[in-house]
Amino acid sequence: MKYSYITPRDKSALTQEVQLLLSFFTITILMLFLTYTFLLYKNYSFKHEKQEILIKKEKLKKSFLVMEEEIVYIEKQKLLSENIYTKNIVLKDSISNLFDLIPSRITLTQAKLLKNGLILYGITPNKDIYNFMLQAPLRSIFHKTYSSFYPAQKGWYRFVSTNYINEEKEEKIDE
Amino acid sequence: MNNISRQYIYLLVVSLILFLFVLIFSFLVLIPEGKEYRIKRVEILSMNRDFREYLNFHTETEDTLQELRSKNRRIITAFEKTFSPSRFEKENKKYFSKLSVSTLLEPSIENGFAVYEVNTTSQISSPKSFYNFLEGVNKSAYMIAINFPIDFKREGESIKSSFTMNVYFNNKDINATASVSVNK
Repeated sequence: MKYSYITPRDKSALTQEVQLLLSFFTITILMLFLTYTFLLYKNYSFKHEKQEILIKKEKLKKSFLVMEEEIVYIEKQKLLSENIYTKNIVLKDSISNLFDLIPSRITLTQAKLLKNGLILYGITPNKDIYNFMLQAPLRSIFHKTYSSFYPAQKGWYRFVSTNYINEEKEEKIDE
Repeated sequence: MNNISRQYIYLLVVSLILFLFVLIFSFLVLIPEGKEYRIKRVEILSMNRDFREYLNFHTETEDTLQELRSKNRRIITAFEKTFSPSRFEKENKKYFSKLSVSTLLEPSIENGFAVYEVNTTSQISSPKSFYNFLEGVNKSAYMIAINFPIDFKREGESIKSSFTMNVYFNNKDINATASVSVNK
């Protein structure tokens, strides 16, 4: 029978192989947990980011609608103002043309400019001057022309000239 | 021999448990979370792209609005101004020998704008003054349209003219005035 003189070693479950295995799995599990934590954090931040984008987009949408409304309103103002300015200029030209139409020998006492007509009151030396120099051009402009004369002093005549444009005809021509 | 085999069995059991844990954790937790991450990332990228496009569009609209505002400043201000007969008389006195503007009636609504109908009587020395007035009215601080009927009557050396004007202003101003008067 042989005896060993070496003192026995303490036997542990954590042998070198087990330690190696454990360290390998610890690293693996740590990496897995780190990845999982990263994914959790990213998903959480995405959720926040999404909410922020939606809030910002909603704000932009509201602001955009307000701006769009304002643009439409300004365009409307612009269009109306252009119409008004044109109307005023056309009116100025029509009045100017009317006064240019009156011959120097005829004196006007009153002129009424209506939307679809013109009424003139005045004095003429005789009917012929009126007929040739005023009524003729008026007839070329208006569809209906009526004149009436009243004797005035020194053989002159007071006249009333009523002229109308047939709006229906004008509209048809425009069409 | 018996001792070695126990060691191997121990190692095998531990490695199997750990391997199973890694496998279960990966398939049940990590991979679904990863899939969710991938979907959310694509979604966020697309949302960010849409948002940037919307932001650009918003900026473009803002620029258009600013341009419109600056180009039409006079028109916008004219529509904002509430008509004051005394101020109008003061501004346009230069065209007439005499000018009087009648009191304002209740405004009506035309094409979404409030319209005051103002009766005006004036005295002019020649038709030229009236032409100047019509040119000047287009540069006025108010938005004024001269309306028919216009009546010119000789009175001695001058001409008496009477006409109506439509003064346009923002309909919002009426609502504001109404709400102020209700509050009062």
